[in-house]
Order: sequence, then structure tokens, then C-alpha cells
Amino acid sequence: MVSEKNHNVSRRQFLTYTLTGVGGFMAAGMILPMARFAIDPVLQSAGAGDMNAVADVSELTEEPQRFDFSYEQVDGWYTSEVTETAWIYQEGDNITALSPTCTHLGCTVNWNSNESYQNQFFCPCHGGRFEKNGTNVPGTPPTEPLHKYEIEVRDGTVYLGKANPQI
Amino acid sequence: MKWTTEDIPSFVAEKQYIDTALVPLLPINFDNSIKQSAAMAEFITVMAAEIERQFHGRMLLTPPFTYLSEEGVQASKERLEHWQQQMKGAEIKHIIFLTADSEWKKVENELDEMLIWMPLVPFENMDSEYKKQIISEQIKQLLPLVVNKWKENP
Repeated sequence: MVSEKNHNVSRRQFLTYTLTGVGGFMAAGMILPMARFAIDPVLQSAGAGDMNAVADVSELTEEPQRFDFSYEQVDGWYTSEVTETAWIYQEGDNITALSPTCTHLGCTVNWNSNESYQNQFFCPCHGGRFEKNGTNVPGTPPTEPLHKYEIEVRDGTVYLGKANPQI
Repeated sequence: MKWTTEDIPSFVAEKQYIDTALVPLLPINFDNSIKQSAAMAEFITVMAAEIERQFHGRMLLTPPFTYLSEEGVQASKERLEHWQQQMKGAEIKHIIFLTADSEWKKVENELDEMLIWMPLVPFENMDSEYKKQIISEQIKQLLPLVVNKWKENP
């Protein structure tokens, strides 16, 4: 049996260490989640998963072509499948993907669909027209160009992100 | 424009551009044909949503007009005419009725507005790729009908 006097750690020291240790854990347990919440936006990933594979580069031509793609959209507790369309064309090495949503009131525009307006996007609702690069034709109802999708090409596949205004 | 709090304000603001209403007509049954009633509702709802997507800026998709098949097509038609008057009163120039119920074909001539009847394509047991293909084929046939209606009577 070893007498109390020979202990390297006194009762007082032992209690201090233990209490500091436990207190430290408790404080950390409270502060860390708060800190995590505070800096949460910084930690959010850039959302590389938001790009959708839409077409193969080999399919593209100088003429805009229609490609449909769909993805899952979560809205609160409700998951639905959303289908979107893009008009994609390639000029040299440049690939452009335009959103088919008319910038006037949101109808769907079509390429070359009206005989009177060759090589333009035409909106059947109110006769809005856009050039091949999406620029709105002055004198028709739309006031801004067609929106452009973010594009990424990986291994010969075209991935599209969000559609953004051109101006 | 859909019948939602998001779209209705733009409908009110841009009324001079939105002169067309799309009204799905859905029969309701609780007897043996309940299954068919559901299939029609499903099919017509999808079609109407797709047409609305194409013509978002000129078309208002109203909530569906529902009626009991047992009610008889004449009675339903009278109720529908009431809807029609209300819409005309709200300066909607074109009204398009969309249905899969062949009963309406019998009174088509008595309706002043355009009736589009589509034979029912049951979506059950159909894989989604095939379903999409069918929908887009059908829609392709439908679009010119609407555009021509606008052209004839702008």
C-alpha cells in the first residue's frame, strides 16, 4: 500500500484537472456548433453537382439544335422532375447554349419556325424574334436577349448549369 | 401562366398580352370507371402543363373544370358556359377546352369555343423515357392548332 503523501498528483490538482477537462468539453460542445453555423456559407461547396449532361459534342452543328434534359428538383418536401430545353450550336470551338424562354413573357421560342423569318428564333405568342446569338430583334416585344446557359465540356460531353441573362 | 400566386400577379399586370385560357375538362366517377377517371385526370393534367409551358406568356391555365359523368353532358355544358361567360367578361378572347372524355364530342358544335379532344393514353406501367417521348409527340401535333387559332382571329 502506498501512502497518500507519495502521490504525484494531489487531490486538489486531480479535481482541478478533471473539472477543467470536463468543463472544456462542455464549452467546446456548445461553441463548435455555433461557430459551424456562423461560418456555414463559407463551407458550402460550389455546387459542381448542379451541372447536367445534355449532349455529346459530336452531335452539335452550326445550326442551333434542340436538346431536352431533366433533373430532380427538391422543393421543400416535394421532389419533382423538371424538364428543361436548350438550343445549342457550335461555331469553331465556341459552344453556345441558349434558353428557349422568351424574355418577354416566358413562352418557348423555336428556331427557324416561321417562314418569314429565316435563321431566327421565333416566339409564337407575340411574335418576338431573336438572332442566332440570342440578341432580341428591335421592334419586337422582348427587351433583352435570350438567357445563356453556363457551359462546361468534359470528355466530349456538354454539361449545362444555370441560365443567366446576357446583359 | 399557372393558377399560382407566383404567376397570377403577372397575369393581372400583363393582361393585354394574355388573351387565352386553357381549361382542362375532367370527368369524375366513383363507380366502375373510377380508374379511367383517374387515368384521364393524370393524362390531361400532364398535357395541359406541357401546353402551358410552351405558351406561358399568352395562356392562362385555369383549375380544371370537374363534373360527374352521371350529371349528363348537357348539364355540364351549361355549367361550362357559365365559366365561359365569366372568362369572356374578364377580357379573355380565346378559350381552349382540353379533354379526354369523348362525351364532349357530342356537344362540340354547341360550344362556341375550341374543344381539343385527345384519346386517352394511359401512363400506368409506362417507363418515363417512353412517356416523355409520347408526350412530346402529342404536344408537337397540338401546338399548330393553337397557333392557327391565334392567326385566324388575332
